[in-house]
Amino acid sequence: MARYFSIFLTFARACLVRDMTFRANFVLECLTSLGWMSMNLAFYLLVFQFTPEIGKGTGWTREPFFAFVATGLIINSIVQALFMPSAEELTEMVRTGGLDGVLVQPLDAQFLLSMHRVDFSSFANGLVGVGLLGWAVSRMDHTPPATAWLLYPFLILCGVAILYALVIMLAAATILLGRNQSLYDFWFYLTNFSRYPAEIYAGPWGGPLRALCTFVIPILLVVNVPARVIALPLEGQAWGLVWLAVTAAMASLVVSRIVFQTALAKYRSASS
Amino acid sequence: MHNSSGDARTVAAVIEVEDLAKSYRVFDKPEGLAASVKSLFHRPSRTVEALKGVSLTVGRGEFVALLGPNGAGKTTFLKLLSGIITPTRGTARVLGHVPWERADDFRRRFALVMGQKNQLWWDLPAAESFRLHREIYRIEPGRFERTRDELVDLLGVRKLVLQPVRDLSLGERMKLELVAALLHEPEVLFLDEPTIGLDVVAQHALHQFLAHIQVERRMTIVLTTHYMKDVAALCHRAIVITDGSILYDGSLDQIVDRFTTHKIVTLDLDGTPTAADFAHLGFPCEVRGPRVTLRIDRQRIADVLPEILRGRQVRDVSVEDVPLEEIVAALFRSGAAGAARAPAEARA
Ligand SMILES: Nc1ncnc2c1ncn2[C@@H]1O[C@H](COP(=O)(O)OP(=O)(O)OP(=O)(O)O)[C@@H](O)[C@H]1O
Ligand SMILES: [Mg+2]
Repeated sequence: MARYFSIFLTFARACLVRDMTFRANFVLECLTSLGWMSMNLAFYLLVFQFTPEIGKGTGWTREPFFAFVATGLIINSIVQALFMPSAEELTEMVRTGGLDGVLVQPLDAQFLLSMHRVDFSSFANGLVGVGLLGWAVSRMDHTPPATAWLLYPFLILCGVAILYALVIMLAAATILLGRNQSLYDFWFYLTNFSRYPAEIYAGPWGGPLRALCTFVIPILLVVNVPARVIALPLEGQAWGLVWLAVTAAMASLVVSRIVFQTALAKYRSASS
Repeated sequence: MHNSSGDARTVAAVIEVEDLAKSYRVFDKPEGLAASVKSLFHRPSRTVEALKGVSLTVGRGEFVALLGPNGAGKTTFLKLLSGIITPTRGTARVLGHVPWERADDFRRRFALVMGQKNQLWWDLPAAESFRLHREIYRIEPGRFERTRDELVDLLGVRKLVLQPVRDLSLGERMKLELVAALLHEPEVLFLDEPTIGLDVVAQHALHQFLAHIQVERRMTIVLTTHYMKDVAALCHRAIVITDGSILYDGSLDQIVDRFTTHKIVTLDLDGTPTAADFAHLGFPCEVRGPRVTLRIDRQRIADVLPEILRGRQVRDVSVEDVPLEEIVAALFRSGAAGAARAPAEARA
């Protein structure tokens, strides 16, 4: 375990050195992602000029909703920083046979493949998310209890775990198919579902969609559960969601691990 | 740690391979739109047999060359032995492990270097990759530094370790790749065309290095290459693979004995000889200026040579074996001819 952590630090250090070598590029990346995010925030502000609440009686008024958005920013920035760059590079590694070199090393391949790149510029969004969360929570009518603050980071981790499992499944598909661009678009569409409160999925087709995204691909639990714990009163139904999120996180990790190992056993290795 | 004492002559099997085969299902991409649409519903596929049942044993400390034309299955064989891919059939044990189970204990004890692939971090100095290597292989720091310095000095690349890898020449990078691969002092080393694209000087440096390190560490090495110079300089044993099967497995000297029936006699004569002067001997003969080249049966060389020399003003004479390249090329061709007779690919 300690060894894995120190290997991860070595990777992170190498990426930092690289980022600092190409400093201008690094700054540009930070600015791009910050710009994209502020446009999103401006859009939400605009929405709240027309309605006081997203869905009547849901409790998602302006400040709680921004706490929700902040939670989403934090979780996504962690995933974007730690896992996405490695996963994107995996496509290239499978295509060129660079994966061969990874498989001969005495190290868990899943660890190496999902962590060998860290994109520090993505943390910029997370920092803004933390700031936004502070602002939103301080202006909310409801004050989160201590239990909520204790649960919050833990549930963030569960959310990250669910998204990580999804990345790993997509990586497994890359290994099996040999090449995989559309599946990263798929990633984008799927995570889109996690961006809004679950309450908006209602009605004849919203309900089944909500069930699908909660129990089959638990993408709706990623942001919703931690955000709800911090932004809305912690009562009855919320506890059920907490347990669901924890169970979903564990199950996703296990299933993704099995799928990934199966894919590695079937790896074809590009001819050279 | 393994037991390295005992009689040097006892050849413990480090690699044991039995009937190892690998086939790939490949899908043909049809040309044209209509055919492409049709292929959405039925994709035509066929099976490529990259390796067709190979059996062999390699003992500790052997240096084996794997020869064969393009597409023969050499790289596939090394990938199987490294556990990168799983076979379709057959068994293999390397250092007592089944490679494709990818046990850490196995992976700590071997290394694979592929000439066409880059393992080092591209944007960073090789020293950084070495550091990572130390952590992955859990090399004790003192030992790591000693090994690294020794390897770097042997290859004369000490100055390059701190330079970003992307700024290095191909040959320089290859040397650093080798250093990285050897840092954990592997017992078995697989080399896939390590000298590809290198100039003669770099090739020579690499040969010297490999020869030295192999003897010193009693390493078992399997090397694939297209350069006979590599083989002649390093290996005693050669395995020729064509079309997925072993065609020859034995010593290099015996390749010459077994597959050549003649030797090449070259004479430098005074005056201007013609082919007609040698026609009565009944051997193929080539004349270029004062130089005459004859291909003479090995058995008859002792009888024929005096006859040739008698009564001639000879400035120089040499008797040589047919060049290795030529023999191996003939072997490759005979393998290809054999393959043409057998159905090479099964339609699916
Ligand atoms: N991943 C793969 N998918 C499909 N076919 C493959 C794959 N890898 C290898 N092959 C096929 O297997 C055969 C053997 O390939 P291999 O790379 O082992 O040859 P090689 O002896 O190393 O050749 P070279 O000297 O050109 O490197 C080739 O016909 C190749 O097309
Ligand atoms: Mg090859």
